[in-house]
Amino acid sequence: MAKKVLIIEDEEVMINLLERKLSQEGYKVETARDGEEGLGKMKKEKPDLVLLDIIMPRKGGFEVMEEMQKDKELRDIPVIVISNSGQPVELDKAKELGAQDWLIKTEFDPQEVIEKVKNQIG
Amino acid sequence: MKKNLNEKTKMKRLEPGIKEFSEMGREKEFKELDRIAKMLVRRDFELLQIRERREKELKELEERTKQLTESRTILLNILEDVEEARGSAEEERDKTLAIIENFPEGLLLFDKENNLVSINPKTRDFFKIEPKELIGKNITDLTEVSVLTSLIKVLGKEIEGIYQKELELKEDLVLSISTIPVLREKEKIGTLVTLRDITRDKIVERLKTEFVSIAAHQLRTPLSAIKWTIRMILDGDVGEISKEQRDFLDKTYKSNERMIKLINDLLNVTRIEEGRFLYNIQKQDIIEIAKRVIDPLKEMAQRKGLKFEIKFPKGRMPKVDVDSEKISLAIQNLVDNAIHYTKTGSVRVSLEFEKEKNQFLFSVQDTGIGIPKAQQKRIFSRFFRTATAIRAETEGTGLGLFIAKNIIEAHGGKIWFESEEGKGSTFCFSLPVRKKEFEEFIEGF
Repeated sequence: MAKKVLIIEDEEVMINLLERKLSQEGYKVETARDGEEGLGKMKKEKPDLVLLDIIMPRKGGFEVMEEMQKDKELRDIPVIVISNSGQPVELDKAKELGAQDWLIKTEFDPQEVIEKVKNQIG
Repeated sequence: MKKNLNEKTKMKRLEPGIKEFSEMGREKEFKELDRIAKMLVRRDFELLQIRERREKELKELEERTKQLTESRTILLNILEDVEEARGSAEEERDKTLAIIENFPEGLLLFDKENNLVSINPKTRDFFKIEPKELIGKNITDLTEVSVLTSLIKVLGKEIEGIYQKELELKEDLVLSISTIPVLREKEKIGTLVTLRDITRDKIVERLKTEFVSIAAHQLRTPLSAIKWTIRMILDGDVGEISKEQRDFLDKTYKSNERMIKLINDLLNVTRIEEGRFLYNIQKQDIIEIAKRVIDPLKEMAQRKGLKFEIKFPKGRMPKVDVDSEKISLAIQNLVDNAIHYTKTGSVRVSLEFEKEKNQFLFSVQDTGIGIPKAQQKRIFSRFFRTATAIRAETEGTGLGLFIAKNIIEAHGGKIWFESEEGKGSTFCFSLPVRKKEFEEFIEGF
């Protein structure tokens, strides 16, 4: 069965690109436009991996991770943070909150995102 | 008649006697006359002499009077001058006092033993102090005045030479402190301390930095989208593209990368300005870091047809306290410049360990365009690019060396260069393995 990836990201273009790329690689893709929607989908869809943006409306990426930590069912889902700023402070905080990996949008190509996803869930 | 006759006879008789007598008398008379004449002549001569003397004396007197008059005039003039000088000195003093009293910066004057001589009203305002209690006190005693403690700490007990050191006195008062030695004929007779209120400047600076930071962040999002889209098209993820389309997209991708680099540079500059630049400081193997940065650059240089030499030390080397991401950036900027601004010839990179100084020395030498003498002073300034650099390479933000300098200095190192236009440049930096100031610097974070 195809592995399921949930993209939580408010930038429409990014979602489209990632969705397309991941689908091509054979993943099943779910999307959410903010943290609130993302947490809902997580509970419903039980994804194998979450790609998570940090700065989003309604609920940001850090809050999402904090809530995941408190939830037994969500705690073990691997998270790859997609950060826009790439500030070391942010990345360290993401790590602390249990993110498996991170990438800075301007420094990565979509292909490298796929590699990072593959590293986590094959 | 008879009588006359008689007389005549008498006379006749007397005649020889008279004659004798008169002859005798005449001689006497002559002598007398002669004497008188001589006397007269003498007197005359004496008189003449006296007159001459008198005239001479008169002349002298006149002369002396003239001199006296002149002296008097001179004396009067001198007196007048003195009066005038005193007047202008007083005027000068009043002017100087007026300047000191109304000077927009705070001023403190210390004598050469570091006793406080005077302070102006602005200083009183800054610290809310009364000069009466402080004048004459030595700097070591002034530390006991609690409001002055932080200032004295900046100045040091010996009042060091400082230039524009910042002191946040209160939340709404930031001062820039400088000291100027007061010299008289090359001998130091005291120190003037100036305090400039830079609160407003700091606010403006912060707002500017915040603006750039936000703008840059906002710009990154669409730039990432563009980058990813083009990449996917180039990778053939959305179908086949023609060679012409690929060429165009390749160029677009590169332009976009350049824009991302510019924005990253801007963000780094704002972080430098905000003073929160170094972040992740750990013991690192500097040779390993340098290798990681330089290897891809070596390929780039060789593609360009340049000879590329690397000289790294062998054996066990001490690890260095660095923010590896930042040090990488500094090395990258220096080597990148060397390759970019060298058309033909070579680029030599070397890293050595100076045991006696307990520091690493990094250098990159090129045979490139060099830096014109007149522009060498500004080479580390933000946004500065030399005219020759702009001609040689239109790309470039003018931020690379500014960022490199700040990174190296934040690590307690020094950066410098030697360059000759048309011949090439050598950029070097030192990186201390451990440094006291550096430790203090880190503690401040």
